[in-house]
Amino acid sequence: MVNFQMWLVTVFASVKPIGRLMHTAWGWPVAESLHFIGLSLLIGTVGLFDLRLLGLGRRIPIAALHRLIPWGLAGFGINAVSGIAFLLTEPDQYVYNPSFHLKVLFIAAAGSNALTFYLTTYRKVAADGAPADAPPAAKAMAAASLSLWVGVIIAGRLLTFYRPFPCQPPEPGFLATCIPGFHANWK
Amino acid sequence: MDPVFRWIESSALSVWTRESTSLLAYPAILSAHAIGMALAAGVNAAIALRLLGAAPGIPEAEMRRYAGVVWIGFAVNAVSGMLLLIAYPTKAMTNPIFYVKLSLVAVGLAVFVAVNKRLGQWTSAARPWIGIALLVSWGGAIVAGRLLAYTYRRLMAG
Repeated sequence: MVNFQMWLVTVFASVKPIGRLMHTAWGWPVAESLHFIGLSLLIGTVGLFDLRLLGLGRRIPIAALHRLIPWGLAGFGINAVSGIAFLLTEPDQYVYNPSFHLKVLFIAAAGSNALTFYLTTYRKVAADGAPADAPPAAKAMAAASLSLWVGVIIAGRLLTFYRPFPCQPPEPGFLATCIPGFHANWK
Repeated sequence: MDPVFRWIESSALSVWTRESTSLLAYPAILSAHAIGMALAAGVNAAIALRLLGAAPGIPEAEMRRYAGVVWIGFAVNAVSGMLLLIAYPTKAMTNPIFYVKLSLVAVGLAVFVAVNKRLGQWTSAARPWIGIALLVSWGGAIVAGRLLAYTYRRLMAG
């Protein structure tokens, strides 16, 4: 896994044009601004839908509120693109960062949770004449979705505080949380 | 203003927020500020999208139920923002963009309060303009806020 991480960093770092664009005066700030706008869109639509499933605004039909979800997906798309731009520009700030590992894990979990929701209860809760109160299973998935997205935001904000430090090659175990092979006199 | 900045920067709360290595200090405050932003700006975006014609099946007046989410987000950000300001008063207050951000938040909040009261009663001529006003003010506040990290000229007075 450590070797895989080192390989990833080399591959990401080899994508030069995006890094050059991101290192212009406006590159990084613009991408960061888009990343925060995308996250607001996601929480304002997907998060609001979760709150509706949990019982807030019962007189709004679940299917009607669901029509806002594509906008949340657009927000996620903006964040995937800007996020990949960060990753390709400064790969070792992310690939060895424990907060980034957690963030990716939370995003994957939120995605699986959403997929499970669509495969199991979505049809029932969004059907014509469906009761205003969502079933317990849907509520549980809504609560999981909200918590996971909040977790994604927190892990994202903590990235800066877990910037990986240089370490000797043998030190990392399964997953490197420091920059291996970087012989600096940090000790 | 420097003596005032120095006085704030030397206060116990400022020093703790800035220098504590606890996750509950600066990292938690920044996280709270991002979550509050997502709640306040996000729900405003949802209302704006509805006014602009997305999701027409939503009974518009019922969206007032979500005003509480905006207020919770705003309250979280007023408190966390105040703490960030106490941590680095010089950094924020010597940057003109900080005042742009505060103004955009004030405009966004004022439009939200005015719009929310009469949700469901807006004429079709007014609706798109209100939607655009909400998106521009809240989106602008986010951009201005983000730019603060890149545009400050002085970090501290002391």
